Amino acid sequence: MRSRLRLLLLLAILAVVLYPLFWMVGTSVKSPQEIVNNIGLVPREFTPGNFTDGWHKFDVGFGRFFLNSAMVAVLAVLGNTISCLLAAYALGRLRFRLRKVWFAVMIGTLLLPGHVLIIPQYILFRTLGWVGGDWPYLPLVVPHFLATEAFFVFLMVQFMRGIPRELDEAAKIDGASPYAIFQHVILPLSRPALVTTAIFSFIWTWNDFFRQLVYLSELQDYTAPVALTLFIDSTSESSVGPMFAMSLLSLVPVFLFFVAFQRMLVEGINTSGLKG
Amino acid sequence: MYPDKAPPTDVRTTRRHGTATRRRLLAAALVVPLALGAAACGGDDESSDPNKPVELSIFWWGAEGRATLTEKALELYHQKHPNVTFKKTWQANQGYFDKLATLTAGGNAPDLFQIDDNYIAEYAGRNVTLDLTSYAGDGRLDMSKFPPGLKEYGTVDGKLAGVAFGENTQGLVYDKTLLDKFKLPAPKTGMSWDDYISWAENVSKTAKVPGTQDASAVYQAYWVWLRQRGKDLYKGKELGFDEQDVTAWFELWKGARERGATPTPDVIHEGNATDISKQLVVTGKAATSWVWANQMPELKKNTKDELGVVAYPGDPKAQWARASMYFSVFRGSPNKDQAVDVLNFLANDPEAGKILGTDRGLPSNLEVRQVVADSVTDPSMKQTIAVQNELGKTFGPAPAVPLKGHSKVRSELIRVAEEVQFGRQTPAQGAAAFVAAAKAAIGQG
Amino acid sequence: MTTVRTAQSRIEPVRPGPADRQGPRRRRHSENLPGYVFLSPWLLGLLAITAIPMMLSLYLSFTDYDILTPLSEVNWVGWDNYRRMFTSDPSYWHAVQVTVTFALVAVPLKLAAALAVALLLNRAIRGIGLFRGLFYLPSLLGGSVALAIVWRSMFSRDGSFNSFLAFFGIEGAPWVNDPRFALETLMVLAIWQFGAPMVIFLAGLKQVPAELYEAASVDGAGTWSQFRNVTLPMLSPVIFFNLVLETIHGFQGFTAAFVLSNGTGGPVDSTLMYTLDLYIKGFVELNMGYASAMAWVFLLTIGLITVVLFRTGRFWVHYSDAEEH
Repeated sequence: MRSRLRLLLLLAILAVVLYPLFWMVGTSVKSPQEIVNNIGLVPREFTPGNFTDGWHKFDVGFGRFFLNSAMVAVLAVLGNTISCLLAAYALGRLRFRLRKVWFAVMIGTLLLPGHVLIIPQYILFRTLGWVGGDWPYLPLVVPHFLATEAFFVFLMVQFMRGIPRELDEAAKIDGASPYAIFQHVILPLSRPALVTTAIFSFIWTWNDFFRQLVYLSELQDYTAPVALTLFIDSTSESSVGPMFAMSLLSLVPVFLFFVAFQRMLVEGINTSGLKG
Repeated sequence: MYPDKAPPTDVRTTRRHGTATRRRLLAAALVVPLALGAAACGGDDESSDPNKPVELSIFWWGAEGRATLTEKALELYHQKHPNVTFKKTWQANQGYFDKLATLTAGGNAPDLFQIDDNYIAEYAGRNVTLDLTSYAGDGRLDMSKFPPGLKEYGTVDGKLAGVAFGENTQGLVYDKTLLDKFKLPAPKTGMSWDDYISWAENVSKTAKVPGTQDASAVYQAYWVWLRQRGKDLYKGKELGFDEQDVTAWFELWKGARERGATPTPDVIHEGNATDISKQLVVTGKAATSWVWANQMPELKKNTKDELGVVAYPGDPKAQWARASMYFSVFRGSPNKDQAVDVLNFLANDPEAGKILGTDRGLPSNLEVRQVVADSVTDPSMKQTIAVQNELGKTFGPAPAVPLKGHSKVRSELIRVAEEVQFGRQTPAQGAAAFVAAAKAAIGQG
Repeated sequence: MTTVRTAQSRIEPVRPGPADRQGPRRRRHSENLPGYVFLSPWLLGLLAITAIPMMLSLYLSFTDYDILTPLSEVNWVGWDNYRRMFTSDPSYWHAVQVTVTFALVAVPLKLAAALAVALLLNRAIRGIGLFRGLFYLPSLLGGSVALAIVWRSMFSRDGSFNSFLAFFGIEGAPWVNDPRFALETLMVLAIWQFGAPMVIFLAGLKQVPAELYEAASVDGAGTWSQFRNVTLPMLSPVIFFNLVLETIHGFQGFTAAFVLSNGTGGPVDSTLMYTLDLYIKGFVELNMGYASAMAWVFLLTIGLITVVLFRTGRFWVHYSDAEEH
């Protein structure tokens, strides 16, 4: 009875939460005139052509944009999980000189609004020769391998502090070095934090618009979010229907990524926790 | 701008200097390597060999249609000059100027870039754009077939900062289907503002659709209206109007709102977005919208109704041939001459003109314009050309290119006009606020 | 490894005992080398990628930098930008007020929604992954153009939300186009995208040892008492994380405002968030020096708030690693 109630409650919340997405689906099969004039949920005339139009709208097929996005996102996932975990272990678990200072600096880097960093960063990356090279994704990928996203470092520090310290202490008494403790204690127990980091890294990189816009200049290098904005030039033509169709399609990879990875959150309950 | 002009009475100035120097040194240590790195990439390397391979970067905003046409025209140039290739970047207008500014800051601006009224004075004033005067003087850039107003329109502080790539003018677009359905007359070029508002009131009553979008936030309508009063938006480096003008303008539209000639303020706000697809005439929330005449074909795509276009109310002589956008050359480009040659080709070559069509506005070169007019088949494009030619007969002299800070003036007009529309300020209060904000925006003391 | 403390002792809120405190303190810096080895990628990133742009922006905040003028030619203006912000910028305090209102309302509600849904979803039943994904979907949209169109349509005068209200006989307003309600519409959008804190809560809930619940129910604790005495304390590091991050995020809230108002902060500046104002000043009006100054004042203010949060965290956040922090 209670689980039924819970299910009903979930479904009710879900209906409200997902309504805007239903609306998107409706709009993705509306004709141009209807998009402007009919803001209801259901289209009067069904226009599935938006999907093929959108896919083939540009000289480069949309599949290419998805691949570019996937590549950048996967590299970001790799970079963030590895580099942030290392930093988080140091800041959260080890005792060394200036640790608290570095922790404060790390939090501090979260606080500056990103817009004032865009230009200094661009100048920096250009000085380093990363901009507009044969592989234009360098400025989008390399920072992830250097743990520049303090969000994830902080996230992992918080999770690590949930791992009982007795585990390290016991290992230490057995003569384990900090490296061994990292490998045998922390790494296996950090699964939920790693999975969370992977999910967010993937999704946020997939959705990141402005940085990708600035650093990518050739159509065949564009990522999905940059390509999506090509549909609508508010001063001239706008292809809202195809844009909605492609926006929906671009949700699919991230959605699948999420559903696949969140499973590991569930598994975490068996493999992590107190068994060690 | 607010450069180093702290009031002379400021005692801190002297005290500040000691620490300032130290700080400056510190900062220089940080900045100089970066600045050098950025600058080193923009060196001059004008070789005399006309056949050496050259890659020109070109950047514009627009939709996919414009991209196809522009790429075709550039391909034509490449065929005629096989040593010249192009690195083409295009995107929608969202984020365009953010990216252009960022590239410029990195010393990495494209050789050729599209620009508009909002920013041409900003870029020219900071010497980002190449002064094309000498090119125009010796014929490497031929602007002799341009209407005089359009040629001067790209001039900022005596320097030719950009080449006008398309002419447009203000157009009042109306929903012909709707008016016909209720047997209502169409608005006419030359009708007075009061007649127009009465007409709109009548439309609202008969058709149950607001007769007109409220134009109080529409800068180009305000501009035309000012010119009809013998004023202007800018005069030299100052505002060309005063508080009384703004008050009268806001009062005019307050009256229109009270008579029911316009939609409610929230709907007016929707239409104040510059997006074509948000214009009330296509969303069916008003019978007319204030746009640019060359936007007709794109408006048409968003509605099933038939649309018509006339001049803004009042004396049509107040309207002028406006450059819808420009192309400029980056001053730091290593291939300036070649870049100018490309502009010259795109603007004057009849074949290129035929390819580009009226996508950016009517071609600036009058001969090319004739060629395009003869070859165009799209009915709404035909209509646009006809209307603009018609309006062109009465065009008054073009005003100077808008000042630095123009985009801020525009956004302030929208903000203040909406304050008045929502009834949060009286027209007089709004006028005072707008004049103060506009003066600050253009740096007028 | 052995089982850590008995489950029983954890039901009581955990506080660091004296023994825990003294052990680590004696060997405080015994791990200098491994510490810096593990920290090195981050340190390199900090020095090479993060710090230089930050310092440059700090320097620029004392200049009249306008983006288009080369860096080598900027003018030093001392404290002018800062002075102007506090004395003569008409939109500055307005933006501060909008931002504080937004953060105070949206952050707690978003966290509450995220926690509530996470608790509902924290069950090992079939298909729960799909449910989680569906609840996360809104957040996947980020700040896309499509989202902007959806939101503006739904919350306009004749939008779906008003149709819904009309069903109950309530007459709605033109929410997103009305300066009285636009900020509220923005808050709803922010709360609607509760996916990120929800996932973090879910991951945190996974770390709560099941034994604790078993022990608690043996003791006869009801749902509420389990929530209060087991879930909340065990989850507190993650709640703390979400609180800090969402607070920062709420104050920085740019995307929703940008998207919803077409980058203007309208109607009539009702959604002019601090960072949106900063963006307009920097990129649209090309006063990047001034925008940098705004950013540094923001950093200091939010930094202060974060310090306060960390201080209060000592009283209610319970770490299993039981070391003073």
